[in-house]
Amino acid sequence: MTRNAVHPRPEHARHSGRSGNVASPLDGTERSSPESTASEARYRGLLEAAPDAMVVVDADGAIVLLNVQAERQFGYRRDELVGQQVRTIIPVGFAERLIADGTRSAAEALAQHIGTGIELTALRKDGTEFPIEIMLSPLESADGILVTAAIRDISMRREAERHLAQTVEELRRSNEELEQFAYVASHDLQEPLRMVSSYTQLLAKRYQGRLGADADEFIAFAVDGANRMQRLIQDLLRYSRVGTTGTEPVLVDSGLALGEAMTNLAGAIEDSGATITWAGLPEVMADHRQLVQLFQNLVGNAIKYHREPSPCVSVAATRQDDEVWAFTVTDNGLGIDPAYFERIFGMFQRLHGREAYSGTGIGLAICRKIVERHGGVITVSSELGVGSTFCFTLRAVLVAAESQP
Amino acid sequence: MTIATIDLPIQVLLVEDSPGDVRLTREAFRDANTRIVMHVASDGVEAMSFLRQEGPHLDAPRPDLILLDLNLPRLDGREVLALIKADEILRTIPTIILTTSDAEADVVMSYQLQANSYLSKPVQLDRFESLVRSINDFWLTKAKLPANRTLP
Repeated sequence: MTRNAVHPRPEHARHSGRSGNVASPLDGTERSSPESTASEARYRGLLEAAPDAMVVVDADGAIVLLNVQAERQFGYRRDELVGQQVRTIIPVGFAERLIADGTRSAAEALAQHIGTGIELTALRKDGTEFPIEIMLSPLESADGILVTAAIRDISMRREAERHLAQTVEELRRSNEELEQFAYVASHDLQEPLRMVSSYTQLLAKRYQGRLGADADEFIAFAVDGANRMQRLIQDLLRYSRVGTTGTEPVLVDSGLALGEAMTNLAGAIEDSGATITWAGLPEVMADHRQLVQLFQNLVGNAIKYHREPSPCVSVAATRQDDEVWAFTVTDNGLGIDPAYFERIFGMFQRLHGREAYSGTGIGLAICRKIVERHGGVITVSSELGVGSTFCFTLRAVLVAAESQP
Repeated sequence: MTIATIDLPIQVLLVEDSPGDVRLTREAFRDANTRIVMHVASDGVEAMSFLRQEGPHLDAPRPDLILLDLNLPRLDGREVLALIKADEILRTIPTIILTTSDAEADVVMSYQLQANSYLSKPVQLDRFESLVRSINDFWLTKAKLPANRTLP
C-alpha cells in the first residue's frame, strides 16, 4: 500500500494537542512492518493497555491496527482484520464519518466527530450484532491522518436503559390508572350512596319516634354512616381531582390567592374572631385555583385547631434560592405532636375524635398533593400548646430576569 | 296567557330511569305541592312518545313542566332536550335538567340546547327537598307560563 503523505494544514493544529502523546507512531515506517520503530511499539503498548477495544483506521476506512480487546470483541484474529475495510466490523456510520467528499477534507470530516460518543451497531465474525459506542481521536502519521476508535460494547447499558425506560413508563401508567380509578370509584360510588343516604334520611324524617327507641337508634347510625361515607367519597373525589383537573403552572400572585382563600373562609374567620396577617407574598408559578385551595386548607386548619379564643395566623414567604420561594403559615393553635408530623399528610388521617373536630382528614393530603404536583415540598414544625408552622415551597418566576436583593 | 289556575292539577313530566330517584322526586314534590300530578317516563323514547301523545300515551296531558335527567337509556337527555326545543309545539314547555352530573361540559351543552335551567341533584335529602320547593315556588307558582289547557 502506498499513500501520499499528508502535508500539515491549519486544521491539524487543533488535533495535535489531543494526539500529542502518541503522535506519529508510524512515521517513516512501512505499514507492512509496523513494529519496526520504538514509537510504534509504545503506541501498540498503549493500545493493548486500553480497557476498550481499539481499532486504528486510515482515511480510506481501512483497518491499520487493533488491540487484543478488539480481536476478542469482534471474534477475529488480528491478521484477518488488518488491511480490511472497517465496514467489515462496523457496517454503517463509521467509515462515512471519515471519508472526504466534495465539501470537506478527511480531517474536516473527522473534526466534526472528535471526542463525542457515537452509537452504532457492530458486527462479529459470526454474524451477530451488538450495540457499540465509539470515540474517535485523530492521529497524524506520515501516511496521513489515522483515526483511533475506542469501541465500547454498550449491550448492558442499552439493556439497562431499556429496562429503566420501561419501568418509568409502567410507573407513569400505573399512576395514571390509579388516579383514574380513584376518580371513577368516587364518582360512580356517589350514585348508589345517594340512594342509601336519601332513603335513610327519609326514613328518619317520617318514622322518627314511631317505631320505638331501637329503630330510632338504628336509623340514626345508618344515617350517620351514610353521611360519613358520603363525605369520604366526596373528599376522595376532591383529592383525585387535584391530579386530573390541575392545569400547567403559570405566573400567579400568591397574595391574590390568599385573598381568595380568605374570602372562602370568611365565615370561619368571623366565627372564630381570627386575625390573619401576611407580608411580602410574591408571584410564583402555580395553578391559581390549587394555590387558593392550598392556602384555604392551611389557614382553615390554623383557625379550626385554635387554642386561644381569637387565633392568630400569619402567612409569609422568603426567597429560599434563585428558583424557590418558601412559604410559611404559622398559627398559635393547639400544635401537633412531632410523632404525627409525617402521618398528618396521609389520606384520611385524623388526630382528633370525630366528636371534637369534624372533617375526614383529607385536607393536608390534598395540600401535599398540590405542592408535590408543583414540584415543591411541604413540611410542618410544631410544638404542642404553642402552635404550628406549615412550610411549603413553590417555584419562583423567571429567575434570570429578576434582580436579587 | 294565563297563570295556572288554582283548582287545576299541575302536570309534571319526570324523565328519569332510576326508580329510587323517581320515588324520591315524587315524595319531595308531593310534600311541596299537593296539586302536582307527576308523570314518569323512564327513558328518552318514552318521554318523546308521551309528549307527542303517541302509542299508549294518546291521552297524555301536555305537561306544565318537564324535569329531565341527562343520562338515560335509548334516547339520552341531551337528545330529548334537542328534540323538545326543535319542536314548535313542545318548545314552550319549561324544561329543567335535573341530574347528578356537575360536569361543566354538560351544563354548557344543556344551556346551548336551551334548557330553562340546569340543576344538580344535591346529595343531602334536606337540600334536595329544598331544591324541589324552589322549583315549585318559581316554575309552578311564580313564573307566568303559556296556557297549556289546549294545544296550539
